[in-house]
Amino acid sequence: MKKNVRKIFFVWEYEKEEQWLNKKSEEGWQLVKATIGKYQFESGIPNEYTYRLELLDKSLNSKESTSYLNFLQDTGIEMVGQCKQWIYLRCKTADGRFEPNNRALYDLTHVLKIQEFISNTKNRLVALIALSICGLLMLDRLETSNLTDFIRGICTGISLSTSFAVLSLYPFSKRINEKVKAAIKELYTYE
Amino acid sequence: MLYITQSDMNNNENKVLTEAVFYTLLALFSPLHGYGIMQETEKMSHGRLKLSAGTLYGAISTMLEKDWIKALPSEEDSRRKEYQITALGKSVVKTELARLEELVENGKKIIE
Repeated sequence: MKKNVRKIFFVWEYEKEEQWLNKKSEEGWQLVKATIGKYQFESGIPNEYTYRLELLDKSLNSKESTSYLNFLQDTGIEMVGQCKQWIYLRCKTADGRFEPNNRALYDLTHVLKIQEFISNTKNRLVALIALSICGLLMLDRLETSNLTDFIRGICTGISLSTSFAVLSLYPFSKRINEKVKAAIKELYTYE
Repeated sequence: MLYITQSDMNNNENKVLTEAVFYTLLALFSPLHGYGIMQETEKMSHGRLKLSAGTLYGAISTMLEKDWIKALPSEEDSRRKEYQITALGKSVVKTELARLEELVENGKKIIE
């Protein structure tokens, strides 16, 4: 039996998303396909698979990612879905191949990747705000017409919504920074 | 920020290998592919050490860069790569073994 579920998780809710997928697995629904906001489950043995979300360094078709995914496949890990550089992985729970040998090191690697992703996103958004403000300043020098009003509206819209997006990233990136520090502290004791 | 300088990379003394790296190097005294390394490690540690795929992948990439292990030539279309320890890798294992022996010796001296 199959069922489709539509659900939206924001990028920074990746942990919540992972927990949700694993809870579904416990209930006997195994994820078999995933894209943005769309999940396909198949009924199966409860807890047969464990799911994990990962962020690739490079695009899915790059040489590095291909060699990484081939390696995972060789160890019994499957990719069931993809959303840009985020991939949905699963392995048999009994194999336990997701359980990191060094929790702190794993957390650090994972979290640094996400931090890089956030800072890239933030930089792009800030550039967008700067451009639309430049646009607004230039429009002030032109004579007012329907067209300039229209463009002014667009620029204002972009700068406001993008500012909101940048601000909403703030608590998330703060949490990520705290995780980095916690992982480093852990590394002082455990190898 | 982490800065790794050339001198850091050459200076392997006083450095402790992770368990995953140590066992992977031991396993690679005979050529193995990724999954083979996992199985061999589990066998050697009597089921205690289950290498996670991510840890092993990271360990292999780093050790290839450091020339501690090498990838064996394989057929063009083969996805599975086999790896083997290098002479440098063997000397790294030896140094680590001496360090571990010192730990064990001192531990026993005090405890027993």
